[in-house]
Amino acid sequence: MVGPIYIIAIALGTAFSLGFFKKANSNFSFAFMLFAMAFMTFISGQWLYAFLTQQQETIQIFTAGFKPPFSISLQMGLHESVFLSLINIIGLLAAIYLYDQLREKGVQMMMIFVLLFMGLNVVIMTRDIFNLFVFLEIASIATAGLIILDKSINATSAGFKYIIATAIISGILLIGIIAIYYFAGSLFINDIIKLNLIYVKGGAVAVFLVLIAIILELKPFPANGWALDVYEAAHPGIGAVISAASASAGIFVLAKILPIVGDPGYYIIGLIGIITFLGSNLLGLKQDKANRLLGYSSIGQIGLLLTIIGLTPYLGDKTLFIAFGVLISHALAKAGLFWLAGIINSEQIKGWAAIRRNPHLLVLMGTFIFALVGFPPFPSFFAKWELIMQLANNDKILWLALILIGSFIEGIYLFRWFGYAIKGENEDLPEFKIQWNKIIPVIVSALGLYAIGYYYSTLTGLAANLNYIPLLFIIFLYAIDFLPVYIKNTISIAGIGYYLYITFPDLEEFRLIFALIFLVGGIIILLAGYAKKGRRSGFYPLVMMMFAGLIGLIEANTTLEFFFAWEIMTIGSYFLIIRGKKSMTHALSYMLFSVGGAYLILAGFGLAHIGQSSYSLDILANVQSYAPIIFTLLAIGFMTKTASIGLHIWLPGAHAEAESDVSPMVSAILLKAGVFGLIVLMLKMGAQSFGSFDIYYALAWIGAITAVMGNMMAAFQEDAKRLLAYSSIGFLGYALFGLALMSHLGWLAAVSLSVVHFMFKTLLFLAIGGVVMRVKTKEMYKMGGLIKKMPFTFISVLMGIIVIAGVPPLTGFGGKWILYNAVLEKGWFLPAGAIFFAGIIAFLYCFRLIHAIFLGQLKDEHREVKEAPFWMLLPQYIILAVIMLFSAIPNSLLKPIGEAIMPYFSEGALEWQGNLAISNFGYWNGELIMYIVGGIFVVVFGWLWFMNRNAQEVKQFNIGYSAERPSLPETTHFAYNFFAPYKKALGFLVSPIISDFWEAVSEGIHAIADKIRRIYDGNAQTYVLHIIAFIVIFYLIAFGGSYGI
Amino acid sequence: MENLNLEIITLITGIILVLIGIWGLLTQKNLIKIVIGFTLFNTGIHIIMVSIGYVKNRTAPIIDQSVNINDVGNSVVDPVPQALVLTAIVIGLGVTALMLTYVLKMYQKRKSLEINNYNDLKW
Amino acid sequence: MEFKNIGYALLTIFIVLNYGLILQGVVRKIGARVGRRYGIRWYQPYIDIIKNYAKRSTITHGVMFYIAPVFRLTGGIGLLLFMPVIFGSDIFGNFSFAGDLVLVLYFQFFGILGMALGAAESGHPYSAIGISRGLSQVTSFELPLTLGVLAVAMQYQTLNITEIVAAQQGGFMNWTIITNPFAAIAMLIAFLGAMGRSPFDVVLAPQEIPIGPPTEFQSGLLGVLQLNRAIFPAAKLILFMNLLFGGATNWAELILKTFLIYMWPVFVGTVFPRFRVDQSIRWFLTVPLIIGIIAIILI
Repeated sequence: MVGPIYIIAIALGTAFSLGFFKKANSNFSFAFMLFAMAFMTFISGQWLYAFLTQQQETIQIFTAGFKPPFSISLQMGLHESVFLSLINIIGLLAAIYLYDQLREKGVQMMMIFVLLFMGLNVVIMTRDIFNLFVFLEIASIATAGLIILDKSINATSAGFKYIIATAIISGILLIGIIAIYYFAGSLFINDIIKLNLIYVKGGAVAVFLVLIAIILELKPFPANGWALDVYEAAHPGIGAVISAASASAGIFVLAKILPIVGDPGYYIIGLIGIITFLGSNLLGLKQDKANRLLGYSSIGQIGLLLTIIGLTPYLGDKTLFIAFGVLISHALAKAGLFWLAGIINSEQIKGWAAIRRNPHLLVLMGTFIFALVGFPPFPSFFAKWELIMQLANNDKILWLALILIGSFIEGIYLFRWFGYAIKGENEDLPEFKIQWNKIIPVIVSALGLYAIGYYYSTLTGLAANLNYIPLLFIIFLYAIDFLPVYIKNTISIAGIGYYLYITFPDLEEFRLIFALIFLVGGIIILLAGYAKKGRRSGFYPLVMMMFAGLIGLIEANTTLEFFFAWEIMTIGSYFLIIRGKKSMTHALSYMLFSVGGAYLILAGFGLAHIGQSSYSLDILANVQSYAPIIFTLLAIGFMTKTASIGLHIWLPGAHAEAESDVSPMVSAILLKAGVFGLIVLMLKMGAQSFGSFDIYYALAWIGAITAVMGNMMAAFQEDAKRLLAYSSIGFLGYALFGLALMSHLGWLAAVSLSVVHFMFKTLLFLAIGGVVMRVKTKEMYKMGGLIKKMPFTFISVLMGIIVIAGVPPLTGFGGKWILYNAVLEKGWFLPAGAIFFAGIIAFLYCFRLIHAIFLGQLKDEHREVKEAPFWMLLPQYIILAVIMLFSAIPNSLLKPIGEAIMPYFSEGALEWQGNLAISNFGYWNGELIMYIVGGIFVVVFGWLWFMNRNAQEVKQFNIGYSAERPSLPETTHFAYNFFAPYKKALGFLVSPIISDFWEAVSEGIHAIADKIRRIYDGNAQTYVLHIIAFIVIFYLIAFGGSYGI
Repeated sequence: MENLNLEIITLITGIILVLIGIWGLLTQKNLIKIVIGFTLFNTGIHIIMVSIGYVKNRTAPIIDQSVNINDVGNSVVDPVPQALVLTAIVIGLGVTALMLTYVLKMYQKRKSLEINNYNDLKW
Repeated sequence: MEFKNIGYALLTIFIVLNYGLILQGVVRKIGARVGRRYGIRWYQPYIDIIKNYAKRSTITHGVMFYIAPVFRLTGGIGLLLFMPVIFGSDIFGNFSFAGDLVLVLYFQFFGILGMALGAAESGHPYSAIGISRGLSQVTSFELPLTLGVLAVAMQYQTLNITEIVAAQQGGFMNWTIITNPFAAIAMLIAFLGAMGRSPFDVVLAPQEIPIGPPTEFQSGLLGVLQLNRAIFPAAKLILFMNLLFGGATNWAELILKTFLIYMWPVFVGTVFPRFRVDQSIRWFLTVPLIIGIIAIILI
């Protein structure tokens, strides 16, 4: 094996030899440098491999033949090798990336570049504290040298700020080091550690100075203005190096000197870390320049790492796992984003809309963004999971909350940025060129993230059972994306079908019911995909990702699997939603509610894990402490998906703007994931209360209010798809109410309503999607009279609304009847009153939907409209057939559901005599009602037909209208603001209080962020002042309080 | 005056130089003066380093006539800080030179040495 | 279910239809006399129906328009037949074995929605306006009604109408209106809305939107609607009689009780002028709602 010392030798040798090359030979000198970087990478990688696979022992290298303290010693261990590999790989990629710049600037720049990485390598390996200082200085001088690579005045002035700030910091470091030497008499770190200097009078100050200087090198908030300016102004290639390589080295240095400080250091580091994490991400909110945004995010991530280091006493032997996961994700993703920034070449994040001229770049950007936020399958996901579990286990609730809040804030600006990239206006934006040397590093780091993510999941042991088969299928679909729609559609349907076939025997009870909703539902809705022409680029991998997540939820046995699947589902659905027109803001709010909800779920799982060794979902069943809080956290988390009142504002836009066959997926299927989550939660945790306050009663009220508000909002919509979206909110309110009843009948109602909701919402969204496709508008009042043009679609909508309205004889009534019985049994009459009120309000929007679109006056521009395509109608009629079956034979639906509920709630079950259902209060025979109503209808119709069979059909305007004959359908079709009196009377109930509330919260936070960031006034002297004030304040904290070092 | 020995004097001088340097860094608006402030700061640190390595009544760690060859350990001051300070001076030189390069570049671009004219990047 | 059930059902329909038509005529006659007018003949509704069926020309605006009256009448007949009309009579229990009170409550809407669909197909703006008003008003009185029904069902621990009636036998002191007054009041106020008489008759509002939803219906189609206009109110009267006034054990009792119950909306309608829709919504959601909530709390 090649000794680590050769890394330094090669770097130095290369740097010196480069001086002999002439400028003309720049290609050769570049190759020479690249070879050196590659060899350094090879050496570190070789050691890493040895440590990981061959039980290599940590080795010490003594220079000049003496043992320390009489010589400088280097150390090569597992941790060193990980960091060296990471840094050198980034260096190698950065060198490739900077090919043009380095060649243009000549050999001097290449020398500096190599020296920077030599500095970073030595900084990691050295065990001599003065040597550490020297090479930190070399690294920062080299960095300052590289910043000049960009000739702009901004880069130059940023470089000046950088060098002033680092010079001050290293001055402090130097004083600290010499003071340590004074007390310890040695520069060898291992010796210094043994002396416990912090208990020596004065020694503590020395240690403090070293510690604070190293921390300041890591750019803690708020003493970091100089670093932000550099991130903004430097060439993105350099930004990547500073963010990924230098910061990683800095973290390692901190970890290296931490034993000198000993235990009291953890508190200071954790405190600084969390302040940095929160502060930096908060200020990132107001940032609209991409590079500076990346700077804020980098600093935020380093803050998170500091926090993790500070929490070492609580994280125990998991610390390294967590820290490496966060660090590797950060380094690769941040480097990748900086490199992408150099390709896109847009200062403003809005300008990143240009990126989707090449969808593959968008995939890469998505990879990095999701890795940063900590989504699966990236290492950061597993690290974050472990972090939260350990914090909860040690009862560090405040830390847990702060970390999640910080991550959430980071998610806000990252996803806003990503939204601009996917959906922002990109008409006037400049084209960009993609050079091979710039794209290779990006691709390598993205692939690295996936590979390391997979490797990381195997390390947890727990994650060994994660099901990667659906994810492989997604990759396969991405690979065949060039094929036409019908092939991919068939493959997707076959894939889902096959998966259902192989998993079907293992499923039972609720898992079976929801698997059928998810998978059979998926197949039925995918059928509509055949109506699309062309390639539908990128659609199928995303659809499959959502379904992979959904099926993962069903199959999950552990909390980790559940959370993994939940996040995968969120990614897939996010992309599906953002594919719609004008859906940028909606997708963002969907994502934020999802991420926020996911963090609540994560926190809930973490708290549930306290005192238990297993990670099985069953831990929820014997929670040791905080039970009501865990329940509330998880319930709110799941309710972000069911869009309960207060958490619903993402839904209408997201569903309404989605494509015609995506709307049913996200509305009819995705929302059920939340219902499934609630079911799992309630089954495991059972009754919960805060003191005497029953949480379920609150849930029942939330469900009831959601139902009333959702339905009322639906009644006031002009946009047909928005109407359906609000209707979904309302319907899930019923489901929540039913579940909250915690009785056989309540659950029967909730689950059967969920199934029925899946059916009619698919039906209606597909039908309305077909209409919108034909008439090219979603505004209902612009339609009218389409019954004669689209009769088949009309029949679907008609049946759909009868089911929604819950009018006998169709299957919607069953749900109402069960709910009545359930309420009488439970006795929660007031929320129940609201639920039934909501049921009646549903009539309003049902009627409006069918009237404004299909009845009334046909518009002139729609006289040539054709029926919806066959492939849109086919799934609708399949569902119609099932609805008719369930309506005529209600126990075909209710009996299996009842049996699934039986093991948990056996009391009050329905008694079935054929199709006659008997409860404790009443009875209902759906089959008979169908026959009776049918019979009466036929007789009456026969009578009418007998009397009036020769009725003459008249033209559109042949109506008795104030003795005039109207000629304009626009003025005759009464559809706009259809329920005006209702709005006048009750409109105040639906004034957008909740969206106003969230908007005010958001604006408030942004305003605070904007105020705080004014401290970065761009002046180098202010930045130095920040550094000095930072030192003073933390000196006081360290020595003033009870936490003194 | 017994306490006011060489060790303390150099230490205090160093600290004063550091403070003056920081003061200059923070208050001067001229880029060159800021750099001078830094060099004062740096020099102060070097003096502090030397003073820490000094041991009373001993000579420089150079083996010549004044040093008893058999008692080197007890007759010279600690050589390590002196070695370190040499390195630090070299580094300080490099940093100062780089700073001045930057100042030069900035001046070439904007024809101004006023630090307030270089606040374009902020927030 | 046997075939003779169908025969009994037809008999029930026949009796109730005639009763409904006569009730219509008589009430209008009384109203006119109270207003010192001569008024119509009590059998005028029969004449109207015959006239409408005798018309030779019939027009239609489309399939939904044509079957709307069918929906409407099916709704009326169904509502009647899903209830036990005469307590203790197998014959006039009709199809009440198919479903309970919840079915009856929701089946009311079958006709309303069907009618709304057909009327809307005519393309006449007045129909659409009438429907908008009608649906708005339905939603608002449904809330006090639901609360009242829940209170009654809770009081008797059943949703079975026959059992509810049975529990009220043995003198008027056992009637729900006495035993559960708040629920009964809430329901009776809701009943005013359900009957659609003044002050809640803005749906048909002859002076503004010439009779609203049925504007475009004529001849045989209107005839079917008129049949329903006799049966549907009678069915609702029977429902309220069953729930609040101890039901009826024979036709005479039924006629007497329903006639008296009918006088309640008639009197109110004579005294109070018409509400605008937004006014009636607000009104239903204040006083009756509060009474309904009190009824619920008192259970």
